[in-house]
Amino acid sequence: MKKINLKINGSEYSLEIDENMRLIDLIRDVVGLTGTKEGCGEGECGACTVIMGGVTVNSCMVLAFQANGKEILTIEGVKGKGNDKLHPIQKAFLEEGAVQCGFCIPGMVLSAKALLDENNTPSREEIREGISGNLCRCTGYNKIVDAIEKAAYYLVKEAEDNEI
Amino acid sequence: MEINKTFQETEVEAVLSLLDQYQDNSKIIAGGTDIIIQLHQGRVNPEVLIDISNLNEIKEIKQIEGRILIGSATTFTSLMKSQVIPKNLWGLIEAASQVGSPQIRNAATIGGNICNGSPAADIVPPLLALNSQLVIANKMTERKVPLETFFIDKGKVDLKNNELLSYIEFENIKENQGLGFTKLGLRKALAISRISVAVFLEMKDGCFNEIRIATGSCGKFAIREKEVEDFMRNKQVTDELIEAGANLYSNIILKRLAGRHGSDYKSEAIKGIFKDGLGKATHLAKKGGV
Repeated sequence: MKKINLKINGSEYSLEIDENMRLIDLIRDVVGLTGTKEGCGEGECGACTVIMGGVTVNSCMVLAFQANGKEILTIEGVKGKGNDKLHPIQKAFLEEGAVQCGFCIPGMVLSAKALLDENNTPSREEIREGISGNLCRCTGYNKIVDAIEKAAYYLVKEAEDNEI
Repeated sequence: MEINKTFQETEVEAVLSLLDQYQDNSKIIAGGTDIIIQLHQGRVNPEVLIDISNLNEIKEIKQIEGRILIGSATTFTSLMKSQVIPKNLWGLIEAASQVGSPQIRNAATIGGNICNGSPAADIVPPLLALNSQLVIANKMTERKVPLETFFIDKGKVDLKNNELLSYIEFENIKENQGLGFTKLGLRKALAISRISVAVFLEMKDGCFNEIRIATGSCGKFAIREKEVEDFMRNKQVTDELIEAGANLYSNIILKRLAGRHGSDYKSEAIKGIFKDGLGKATHLAKKGGV
């Protein structure tokens, strides 16, 4: 057993973990945040995507001990601590009908967030590249791309409104 | 065997001491994108894991006295965003950008791609074409080996259990030089390369003054194509020369893969991939956008 300290969705955790535990198991089974999904377990599908240290990673391909001292964002934390409203990306996904079975969506939303944090006016091609590590077997991707385009618009508008 | 100790170090020296202490029982983990699957499938079973993904010293790309040094723990994303890499080394950026997916490129490292010894490692052909040297350290000393001699067999490299690959270095590119890379994958993202070719060129008076070519995914590990290089070096660039070079390359691949699955396909495809990579390198060398 090993003791690690990390921050998940803004809350500090001090946890005892097995040395060979993966980050996804820590998030789901130890902390109980089951929004992060495990699909393939080998980095192909992206369902387990979380943001660690500001960048997206597949949480099935990170060992839990490597997250010691790191800051992690999961789907549960996307809307921000103490915020009741959905994040603009989540809102756009619902409005555009981008969610069917929903299994890939937590990972999709986090990949979209990482993309939009860096580039607030991505082209459709850049959006496709941004979510290229997330597989969806339902939607055919078009509605997801539509949703991310709309979310980009919402976020730019939100930033402009905040400036005024 | 179970992992019973893990270390998350921030100093290279501390890692070298740990490697010296645990030797065969230990494994280095960086991005984890290969080793975690190997651990899961029981293909490796170390008692000790040493995480090097927080070694800032070897996570950066530097330019020192006309050479470029890439720290082994640099991620593919960092390489793609680096300001140190000149424009006519685009082949290096193109190879990095075609690895896996954004999530994998954010975690996976250049050193890991090399040390894992996969025949399909995307970053190896461009580094071979650049005549890269590896800086390998142990607790006592440091050695430099050409990347070309580092690969022993599929998945097997010249790295001892107490050693750490710390840097990959090569001569910085000049204005009349260019590095092109072309990969054939079965789909756009998350594709393991079927064949990849990197071409380094130096142009002078309409000639290929220097040419270095490396192939990935056609054999146990990526290799230089010296026969094709010798054939094309110091010759005036013409369509006929390129065609003849591509045919020679194709015959070499056909012989190398004789009797193996996909040899006809790969030996035909190599012609187009080579011409594409060569075209990119020529364009970059002429443009000389340093």
